[in-house]
Amino acid sequence: MSMVQESSGTTHIFLRFLTSLRRLISRLPLHIILIGAALLWMTPTFGLLVSSFRPATAVGSTGWWTAFQTPFQFTLDNYSSVLSQNGMARSFLNSLIITIPATIIPILVAGFAAFAFAWMKFPGRNALFIFVVALLVVPIQVTLIPVLRLFTDVKLVGTFPGIWLAHTAYGLPLAIFLLRNFFGALPRELLESAYLDGASNMRVFFRLILPLSVPALASLAIFQFLWVWNDLLVALVYLQSPSKAPMTLTINNLVSSFGTQWQLLTAAAFISMILPLIIFFALQRYFVEGITAGAVKG
Amino acid sequence: MAEVRFEHVTKRFGETIAVNDLNLTIPDKEFLVLVGPSGCGKSTALRLISGLEEPTSGKIYIGDRLINDVAPKDRDIAMVFQSYALYPHMSVHDNMAFGLSLRKTPKPEIQRRVREAARVLGIEDLLKRKPRQLSGGQRQRVALGRAIVREPAAFLLDEPLSNLDAKLRVQTRAELSKLHQRLGTTFIYVTHDQVEALTMATVIAVMNKGFLQQVGKPQNLYERPDNVFVAGFIGSPAMNFFDVTVKGSQDGIYLDAGTFQVPVPKGKVGILNKYLDKKIVFGIRPEDIHSPEYMAPGIIASSIRAKVDVTELMGNEFFLHMLSDDKSFLARVDARTPAKPGQEIELVFNMANMHAFDSETQASLQSNSNSSRSGA
Repeated sequence: MSMVQESSGTTHIFLRFLTSLRRLISRLPLHIILIGAALLWMTPTFGLLVSSFRPATAVGSTGWWTAFQTPFQFTLDNYSSVLSQNGMARSFLNSLIITIPATIIPILVAGFAAFAFAWMKFPGRNALFIFVVALLVVPIQVTLIPVLRLFTDVKLVGTFPGIWLAHTAYGLPLAIFLLRNFFGALPRELLESAYLDGASNMRVFFRLILPLSVPALASLAIFQFLWVWNDLLVALVYLQSPSKAPMTLTINNLVSSFGTQWQLLTAAAFISMILPLIIFFALQRYFVEGITAGAVKG
Repeated sequence: MAEVRFEHVTKRFGETIAVNDLNLTIPDKEFLVLVGPSGCGKSTALRLISGLEEPTSGKIYIGDRLINDVAPKDRDIAMVFQSYALYPHMSVHDNMAFGLSLRKTPKPEIQRRVREAARVLGIEDLLKRKPRQLSGGQRQRVALGRAIVREPAAFLLDEPLSNLDAKLRVQTRAELSKLHQRLGTTFIYVTHDQVEALTMATVIAVMNKGFLQQVGKPQNLYERPDNVFVAGFIGSPAMNFFDVTVKGSQDGIYLDAGTFQVPVPKGKVGILNKYLDKKIVFGIRPEDIHSPEYMAPGIIASSIRAKVDVTELMGNEFFLHMLSDDKSFLARVDARTPAKPGQEIELVFNMANMHAFDSETQASLQSNSNSSRSGA
């Protein structure tokens, strides 16, 4: 390469660097604000996390920010104490037993309903869909007493099936709405092609609709899972059985009995948070897709 | 498989009548093209055959079997959609095998049919790919392959070439014709492109606003259109139309367009006798207008003078957009013709190929014993 060519190559690289630098600087204020807001938002949670690793004496006398000065006093005792006593391990299991079916059942039921609303013609379809979506405005609190009475009559109070039913009912309007919009956006010719190939509605649903709707289903699963896992009210009203209490209920009880033992409360809270956090980070992509999927494609 | 027959079939969507009292017979093994402008009812007619739509009234038969209430999957037809409708989450192989596996066809038989169809279409190397990894032309072949493996009694194709680029379209037209000859199965093909209709069809059915206009062999529709619509739709560039008055003179009959007059050849005088001093629609195709220096021998020439408005050199011929007072028309002349915009030149009409239509009914005045309301 000649000197002229070499120098023009170098100039080109330098100019590109300047352009990137300029872009970075122009966005700096925005980045600073966003990072600052994120840090501010996370500070209390971080404080709780630190507290959960501190011994009782330290938590009771000094603020969590002092944990980073000598002498360093960190311990795992809080976690082992919470897990071994107070039935927390049992509660974790109960949370799983409640949440997993209460996630799968509404999605399955909503899936069938959404397919019917989107692709099957029957009298009153639109009116029925509007009615189902209108149920979204009904607050849970309004339903608590009537449903409790109903459950008492049919002996579902304090049972897992009872709470699965309750969560299914509460989750269906949104699930049907989101899935119906997503299913409806699938190309009509795709389904017609399947019908011509000989597929029944069931086949079309399981072999075509479901595989193509994985983003919508995954995001709905996350929504429902988080909602049920973090639920206190529904469990409080319909379960009424200490042996079947989920983590939210158990931690709530801990507050009254260990009101001042923050190190135990924070440890319990973080044990409760672990599973949803794992699920969220694993399926994060679908969560973001799912927020816009129903809205945009509707 | 026997013929497909529409008997007084009407299809309404609310207030709109998409197909209006359609009576059409599609003979076995023909390549029938349903052609017409957007919204004419051709796709609806195809969907009625497939069973994806139900007729509002009327009967549809395959052979002697009334199929009005027969489910789409039991009609022994296969459809190729405009958008191909390939299953995006399945491989090419699984796309082609899907219909067969639903019908519980034995696996070895599925493999055999898929491989054979892939071989015919030249897509053996693509069997493991997903649709999103294919080009438009490849996807179209897969859609065809999915139909071929079903070995149906009839193929229904809904504008399958619309999404292809021009060059690929020309290539695929020839391949579809070859496929039809090879398979010997009935093809029912819908398009808005009359060039596709003329090049591929053994029978063409022209539709407009839900009504069947004319059915017949391509050459018949071109040479003897039943009405102004068919005359203007079939053939590219479209036929020129003039509102003229039929006048008599010592030498015979001529057509008076105001700005020019053309004599009617002896062979056509008979049909126009009833229209003396009345208005008719005179039609002449651009390819039947010649420059006097380069006209083909054996034509019945009739000269007119007109002004050149726009010229388009097509390489092997010249398109001249002409103006005769307020009347505009198109002529396809020899590429050597000296013509410049603004120039007044002499052109020659080949009156042997003139067309005449009733002004009110738009129907052709020439008897058309070769065309009928069926495909036979």
